[in-house]
Amino acid sequence: MSANTWLATGNFFTTYKQEQRTFLTSLDRTFFTFFLVILFGWPLIFELGNKNMLVIDNILIAIVAVMGLNLVTGFAGLISIGHAAFVGIGAYTLASFSRTLGDSHVLITHFWPVMIILSGVMGAVFGAIVGLPALRLKHLYLAIATLSFQMIFEWTIQFFTFFNQGQTIYIGRVAWLTGQVGRKDHYLFWYFIILTIVVLLGFGIRNIMKTRYGRSLVAVRDNDRAADAMGMNPGLTKVYAFALAGFFAGVAGALHAYVYRGVGFESFTLHESIGYLAMAIVGGLGTLNGSFWGPVAIKFLDLQVESLAEISGQYLPSGMNIATALKPLTFGLVIVLFLMFEPRGIANWWRITKSYTKLWPFRY
Amino acid sequence: MAHLNVSDVTLSFGGLKALSNVDMKIEPGLITSIIGPNGAGKTSMLNCISGFYHPTQGNIFYKEKELTHASPHEVSNMGISRAFQNLELFSGLSVLDNLLLARHQNLKYSFFHAVWFYGKASRVESENRGYVEDVIDFMELEAYRKSLVGNLSYGLQKKVEVARALTLAPDILLLDEPMAGMNQEEKEDIVRFVMDIQKERHITVVLVEHDLGVVMDISDRIYVLDFGEVIGSGTPEEVAADPKVIEAYIGED
Repeated sequence: MSANTWLATGNFFTTYKQEQRTFLTSLDRTFFTFFLVILFGWPLIFELGNKNMLVIDNILIAIVAVMGLNLVTGFAGLISIGHAAFVGIGAYTLASFSRTLGDSHVLITHFWPVMIILSGVMGAVFGAIVGLPALRLKHLYLAIATLSFQMIFEWTIQFFTFFNQGQTIYIGRVAWLTGQVGRKDHYLFWYFIILTIVVLLGFGIRNIMKTRYGRSLVAVRDNDRAADAMGMNPGLTKVYAFALAGFFAGVAGALHAYVYRGVGFESFTLHESIGYLAMAIVGGLGTLNGSFWGPVAIKFLDLQVESLAEISGQYLPSGMNIATALKPLTFGLVIVLFLMFEPRGIANWWRITKSYTKLWPFRY
Repeated sequence: MAHLNVSDVTLSFGGLKALSNVDMKIEPGLITSIIGPNGAGKTSMLNCISGFYHPTQGNIFYKEKELTHASPHEVSNMGISRAFQNLELFSGLSVLDNLLLARHQNLKYSFFHAVWFYGKASRVESENRGYVEDVIDFMELEAYRKSLVGNLSYGLQKKVEVARALTLAPDILLLDEPMAGMNQEEKEDIVRFVMDIQKERHITVVLVEHDLGVVMDISDRIYVLDFGEVIGSGTPEEVAADPKVIEAYIGED
């Protein structure tokens, strides 16, 4: 047994329980704790404006949604082109409470953790229903079934007056221990909340992947015939995968509604669905850390393109709006380049970097 | 009463009869082999038992339970596991993960235990790992525990395939040509494993195999199929002396 728990020089496990650990060395755990402290601590030291904080909140919400998409598309191998609609289900769960009870009802303002979980459950229910075609359909055909859900969702929202026909439905300000969260602290408050949720869900995924509930997902991706022979019901496993993704999306939707203090139809369109899929691909399908890289990369790319368009706007005639053209162009280009040159996504770069540092500073 | 009772099974694809009126009794604790020329319906028979095909006529009973129309996961949960002829492994996973996957139904903890992990799920998983390590030991796969299945040689992949079926802790193990495409040494290896599976782990083995030398040496019972019909059955000596079997294999003079 190695006495050094900081730098492992080999495999010194003596029980199977030790091998289940999330962090293999104390060094890893300390690094991670330190990283978390920084994540939670920096906004208290540097004050960013509301505008920048909104961008960061937005990224974190996308991370929650993409974690779900990564479960169904990355781990279980079922392409879902309706993920934004699931996010929308979460948001509109909250919105329907706001419509029936009023936008500042105590349920919405004080019991927001319950509402977030409830939205997640609604997402899971719809996920399971939309996942039902997976009992029969595979690959592209299944993807089209999810696409049709996206279309049905958009139509429903735009048609019913209950949903304000897609116009914004307001959500009241939430309350915290110190009272109502005001305009100044709103985005900061939600930064902490969403970050906590991301960490919890991240560990949740980590744990699930170590158990039969995670392994069955990978099994149906790799070989569903063999999965069947191994005693799993492949159809039910796929439905379960969709339900799980729906839960994550629902939570993301509720958070979206709270952060923007309103629910409007344009945040849950097909375009957003493709966006989530792109984030999952760029981040790295079938990896947990890919769900973090992807949204960060795509959202920052979006920002850069916008500022580039602003600069070029000074030199070009005002009739030419280069931003509207550049955004989809760069977006598409990035996806194509990633699919061609790094189909395993940014998560693979991370893996390579990690294995380099193992060799280079002579860890052993 | 036989362990596994196949009675009057007919399987037809349109006009083609892959199996016609097949009767088989698999006795507990024995190695039963199914042999026959190419296209005789051996794999179709296994597919019927393991639930991938459902017979158009006739029925299959395991002890008192009927599995004629059961789906593959129901069959495997009854205690009948199967190794495939064409490798059907989870090639993106390690050998260890492949075997852990096969324990799916034996792990009893809820989803919420899994999310929290510490406590019940962790305990069950480490017990489970112990069981899997036992199989790895038995099949002598220790050196390849952590390697990706897709990167292993064909012979080893076949061995993993058998090991995975064994990890399900079955009463009956269906082996579909476990020795196909192997060299002499690997073949002898697998034969030894098949015999050990029967003697040490007390598992009933149903073997589909082309190598007649192997089949005659290790089987307790043999069924000979030709064009979907059973043309001979009995102990290896009886089958070897059966004129119909000789005709199917060597032809008339």
